[in-house]
Amino acid sequence: MESSEDDGGEPLSRLAEWRDVTPLPQDDGPNPVAPIAYKEEFRETMDYFRAIYKADERSPRALRLTRRAIHLNPGNYTVWHFRRLVLEPLNSDLDEELDFIQRIANSNSKNYQLWHHRRWVVERLGTNVRAKELHLIKSILSLDAKNYHAWSHRQWVLQALGGWEDELDYCQQLLEEDIFNNSAWNQRYFVVTRSPFLGGLTAMRASEVRYTVEAILANPNNECPWRYLRGLYKDDIESLVNNHEISSVCLKPCQEFRDAVVALWTSDSLPLDPDLATAICGILEHVDSMRASYWIWRKNKLPVAA
Amino acid sequence: MATRDSLDFNVGVEEEEEEGTPSPSSISPPSSPLSYFDRDRHVAFFEMLYNLMPYHYQSQEINRLTLAFFTISGLHLLQALDRVDKDRVANWVLSFQAHPRSRAELKNGQFYGFHGSRTSQFPPNENGVSVHNAGHLASTYCGLAILKTVGFNLLTIDKESILISMRNLQQPDGSFMPVHVGAETDLRFVYCAAAICFMLEDWSGMDKEKAKDYILNCQSYDGGFGLMPGLESHGGGTYCAVASLRLMGYIEDDLLSKNATSFVVNVPLLLDWCMQRHAIDGGFQGRANKYSDTCYAFWVGAVLKILGGYKLIDKIALRRFLLTCQYEFGGFRKYPRELPDLYHSYYGFTAFSLLEEPGLNPLCAELGMTDLAALENDTRLLCGEKSQSPQRKPRCGEKMKSMVVAWYKALTPEVIGCIDYGGDEKKKNIGSDDDDEQRVMGQPCLVVRGN
Repeated sequence: MESSEDDGGEPLSRLAEWRDVTPLPQDDGPNPVAPIAYKEEFRETMDYFRAIYKADERSPRALRLTRRAIHLNPGNYTVWHFRRLVLEPLNSDLDEELDFIQRIANSNSKNYQLWHHRRWVVERLGTNVRAKELHLIKSILSLDAKNYHAWSHRQWVLQALGGWEDELDYCQQLLEEDIFNNSAWNQRYFVVTRSPFLGGLTAMRASEVRYTVEAILANPNNECPWRYLRGLYKDDIESLVNNHEISSVCLKPCQEFRDAVVALWTSDSLPLDPDLATAICGILEHVDSMRASYWIWRKNKLPVAA
Repeated sequence: MATRDSLDFNVGVEEEEEEGTPSPSSISPPSSPLSYFDRDRHVAFFEMLYNLMPYHYQSQEINRLTLAFFTISGLHLLQALDRVDKDRVANWVLSFQAHPRSRAELKNGQFYGFHGSRTSQFPPNENGVSVHNAGHLASTYCGLAILKTVGFNLLTIDKESILISMRNLQQPDGSFMPVHVGAETDLRFVYCAAAICFMLEDWSGMDKEKAKDYILNCQSYDGGFGLMPGLESHGGGTYCAVASLRLMGYIEDDLLSKNATSFVVNVPLLLDWCMQRHAIDGGFQGRANKYSDTCYAFWVGAVLKILGGYKLIDKIALRRFLLTCQYEFGGFRKYPRELPDLYHSYYGFTAFSLLEEPGLNPLCAELGMTDLAALENDTRLLCGEKSQSPQRKPRCGEKMKSMVVAWYKALTPEVIGCIDYGGDEKKKNIGSDDDDEQRVMGQPCLVVRGN
């Protein structure tokens, strides 16, 4: 069993435990490109790791060595791979392994190898750790609500182990904290479309439209709910266009909207185009000037009014 | 990609990558940014890194080939490839290739591509067996890209081993695992696989149809692509998706100029998503409602270029933002208040190349490297035939030494301590490292002092 303390950085060459091992230096070859100025501790740890790895020694001290190497070099997939090879014959406590990963994650929460290793451990522990896992991801997201790795892991846990019941509520909570959090909107879509408890997109559409329209009205400059609304009608644009509730959001009510459009029109010399879509493109060309070329392009792509 | 991981990517990858709140402990930017692209400083910075990487990169040493790719391709973009010893580079890269002892071994599940570094590469044992093969897709992509950049003829390498064994990495859903021992599978490695096949001019290495299906499953409801099906749309994921489809031939060049009505992806929605990533500060963001970051000027900009929509962006605004990310001593940073790193510097150069900055080589958007290198089919000498000229013994010459010393003198300890890419868990060892001198391991004695 591994010590919960780190080695303290004592050089391995000075430890009696490692006396029988000849470290294997990195053979950089005669003409290395972009050589790295390794620090001594790093170089030494990796030299011992190479020796143990080459010898395929799957022992408790090998496990401790991988821990040390991971602290210095958490991106090294070879070290993580070897750690997995060592964990199994040693019959290690995988719950403790989750704690180890969590400690590494505190300073490396965006490291692919770490999350992959976590997945490997969770696969072996099964549904027993589902609740703990979902809870842990929540705590990571509470520090950074948009951590892509955490969201990826969360989606994997839900799909592999379940736990969908509270997920929509969780999305709701995150959106209450920050309605601009696109990761939370994405997760909401994920839940609405895939949760075995909610009935699928078509069944959820009406309630989701209400929720989204409310979000739009509260912050019309928020890109997320607009895209989400459109997403609710994926593959069914006709229904989107014909939905009175939605068109009243966009054009509410028609004359007031047109007045606003006219008020935005900045040109005195050119009249506003009677075709609404063309007019809007013309306005956007001015008020969203960074995308002026895009709006002109869009305008030119519009079907010609009859 | 690098992603922080590299795409790690560069992909990473690479993956590699994500941003949060800019760190409060960064140094302040200069009072006003330069109004021009400071090519000479960038060349000096990259030449330094090509010759020696500071110890802060040791945590990325498993991706050594990726780091080398950035430096070499970066110099090429800056039209400074003369700083590179091409023969030496080609031989060094080739030494990372894993070789099977027989054709039969190609079906043993291992991937006979390129290792990322010596850490994952061991000499064969007494029986000549390479038991610890860890060829990696991203490293293979970078290795081949470097070889192309230095003009090496790829037709002379053992491409069959790469391609046949690469099939071992493709998953039933069409995605790719980067190493045979097990790792995450996502769009970054589909891209690497497609780029490898493209550079080797041979698609037997992958099932394109399955890969296409996986890519399409990654398109989000908002038009962008996540790194895996169901994930939030992301600039890096969108690049991997679109560039892969283009390389595989599923989307035509300059799609938007043509009036084709059926596409494999929802192009209008994709285009709109891309255009909205151009933020009010002039930079590109990787996801909706996130900060602008230098590298997305490439990831999203290149998507627009591939689709034929790059002409629609506000180049003046973008250039203005990128110049605020340019570092006065060379390189680019993620945000105006951060510190420069290799990854963001490289993608800063690619972004300026897309903007057609004078003095930079044009970019091949689909491969993320110079167009000349991508299209070059050089049959020059560097392919296993012995060079006629005597091999120059590479040394860190006096001029280079003094340049590096001057460079480090110009940098504050904070700057040296902060070179890292990706993630907000940075600032390792600032100030705590009391090495005034740093002896470079294994090199002729080179003493570098920080301030």
